[in-house]
Amino acid sequence: MTNTLNPYILLGIASSATIDDIHRAYNNLVQRIQPNTNQYSATAQEQLETITQAYNLLVSPTQRRKYDTQSTSTDDGKSDLSFSMRVTPSKRAIIPLPEDQIIYLLADIIASPAARKLEEREAHLNLTLVIDHSKSMEDENRMSKVKAAAQTIITELSSDDVISIVAFNDWSSVIIEATHVQDKMSMRGRVSMIKPKGGTEIYKGLAEGVKQNRKYLKPSMINHIILLTDGRTFGDEEQCLDLARQAVSDGITISAMGLGSDWNDRFLDELASVTGGTSMYVKSVADVPIFLNRQIRSLSNAFAERMQLSVIPESGVNLEMAFQLSPSPQPLTHENGIIRLTSLQPKRPISVLLQFQLPAQLAEGTTSVARLVSTGVIMTRNALKHVAVGELEVEISKNPKQTEGPPASIIDALSKLTLYQIQEKAQLALENGDITKATQQLQFLGTRLIDMGEVELGRQALAEAQHIASTRAFSSEASGKTIKYSTRALIEPGGMKSAITAMFDNHGDKPTNDDNPAET
Amino acid sequence: MITCPNCNHKNRDGFLFCDNCGYSITDAVAGQATIPTRRVPSDPDDSSAKATWGSARFRQGSSVILHIHEVADPVTVEPAQRIIFGRSDTSSTYLPDVDFSPYGALEKGVSRQHAALEINEDTLMLLDVGSSNGTFLNGQRLLPNQPRVLRDGDEVRLGKLITHIYFK
Repeated sequence: MTNTLNPYILLGIASSATIDDIHRAYNNLVQRIQPNTNQYSATAQEQLETITQAYNLLVSPTQRRKYDTQSTSTDDGKSDLSFSMRVTPSKRAIIPLPEDQIIYLLADIIASPAARKLEEREAHLNLTLVIDHSKSMEDENRMSKVKAAAQTIITELSSDDVISIVAFNDWSSVIIEATHVQDKMSMRGRVSMIKPKGGTEIYKGLAEGVKQNRKYLKPSMINHIILLTDGRTFGDEEQCLDLARQAVSDGITISAMGLGSDWNDRFLDELASVTGGTSMYVKSVADVPIFLNRQIRSLSNAFAERMQLSVIPESGVNLEMAFQLSPSPQPLTHENGIIRLTSLQPKRPISVLLQFQLPAQLAEGTTSVARLVSTGVIMTRNALKHVAVGELEVEISKNPKQTEGPPASIIDALSKLTLYQIQEKAQLALENGDITKATQQLQFLGTRLIDMGEVELGRQALAEAQHIASTRAFSSEASGKTIKYSTRALIEPGGMKSAITAMFDNHGDKPTNDDNPAET
Repeated sequence: MITCPNCNHKNRDGFLFCDNCGYSITDAVAGQATIPTRRVPSDPDDSSAKATWGSARFRQGSSVILHIHEVADPVTVEPAQRIIFGRSDTSSTYLPDVDFSPYGALEKGVSRQHAALEINEDTLMLLDVGSSNGTFLNGQRLLPNQPRVLRDGDEVRLGKLITHIYFK
């Protein structure tokens, strides 16, 4: 099987397309994707290059024939292994306004049905654990729980998997050099020797972790680093983020797990987001094995890895916010329109909500808002690269024919995402010393949560609002983090049944589960 | 600008929830805005088909594809004169033509007999057959037993279960 991205999908044409169709499709795309001088120019340039490659391949009769034969014959029936993208806008018709306005796009990336039928995953893990063993890991018995969790993972991995373990405090030390998981007994023994001592310097641990992970780095493996820490690192955050950016360009993903309450949540979120990893708050140390296990399971179950969404807004349009709703809610960084996503599971779509700002005085006609291209590597033995393109057209008209409201899936996602954003604003206001704003935002958050039936969390937010008004701080760091990560967890579809109930209430229509007697 | 009725915050047009307080500021009924993208075809011939989105014409020999929200695999339904959407349950032997039980039908408030698809010459009609929690076509609740024309790409909600319907 060739590892060229499917040129037909890239150009949006049929495999039976004539040479004229190819020219036309290419010219249209080139006109749309002008690498002009805005912040997306690098991304546009990249998309343009892949499109031009696809075009050059298809206009050469020999190359096209070669591609067609290769993709249909030599792939032993694997051509069905693919993913597609579905894009839903918050409105289908835009009325031009004298001021800026907002539109949301919901992108769902979905594995093909053939993906679930794969009985055995061919991809294996190249896993690195980077474990904080600073003095504070003695608290609540964190160290021994983390060691036990790491040992369980060693037991569960197979000899096709590769593991390395790095421990760090002010220094880093390699506990297990990157190697295939074979001598499990001695590996577990080495883990048990880790002792808590010293401070927390994440960069040292992470740098050694990346070094270990690179030793077995392969496109056909799932190359992943999990950082477990309970502390704040000082002054080396930027270094860590630079390291993460290099790591992701090599195909390494980083996830971060924060224990206790003293770690820097914004930093760990960003560290995970720049690579497409996940960041988690483990409130109770007893949950470490559960979280770690779930993380490893979802990694080894990945259908496609190194998932990326490249977004080029139309001219004048600006991408303001990107958030991964599913499979795990995660704020996303979107520098230059490049967004790293979590791995694609065979049964759960990746859903990303994008918020765009549209300029004032739009000309009537149609717009695509943005061109969305999703790429990833399908985890078969051959590590197939795959691409999916999301195209849509939205009408711009002063008197639109379509006046329907936004789809339920977007309303549902936004009802919860807005709460998470309010929570973020409260935390930021508090950091900046704006007590009035922090208090007010937490009050809004508490009220909305209670409205939605999340009474306990809502009460906690209201109580913290009061606490902040009188003491200028959360009652504890842990409480601030609980509010943040619990609100975030609600975003996961199905994570808050009551949100949908509240939505029904707005329509004056309470859902019931008791059934009607069948009428027909 | 949309001024939030709850906190008077001025939001840019297009926000659905107040940026300041989270209050719902859209008065629009949830409706259709789904535009199917060119799905990556599993068989090459399929890619030649232009998106038929928006068309009410249901050609003979076509089948109906249901994309259930949060479910990766689409469900293909072969059309018949009348197809009942619903859920099976353990207390009776009733089995609807399309059983949504595996997709959380019970907790999403899908009735045993919820809605029906009917073929009417070359169009497909959707009707609610007296469900408890309602059938919504592009966000609008259907009156019981009043058929409505279904178009390619429509959003159909059974109780809280969201699905998109495509013709193929």
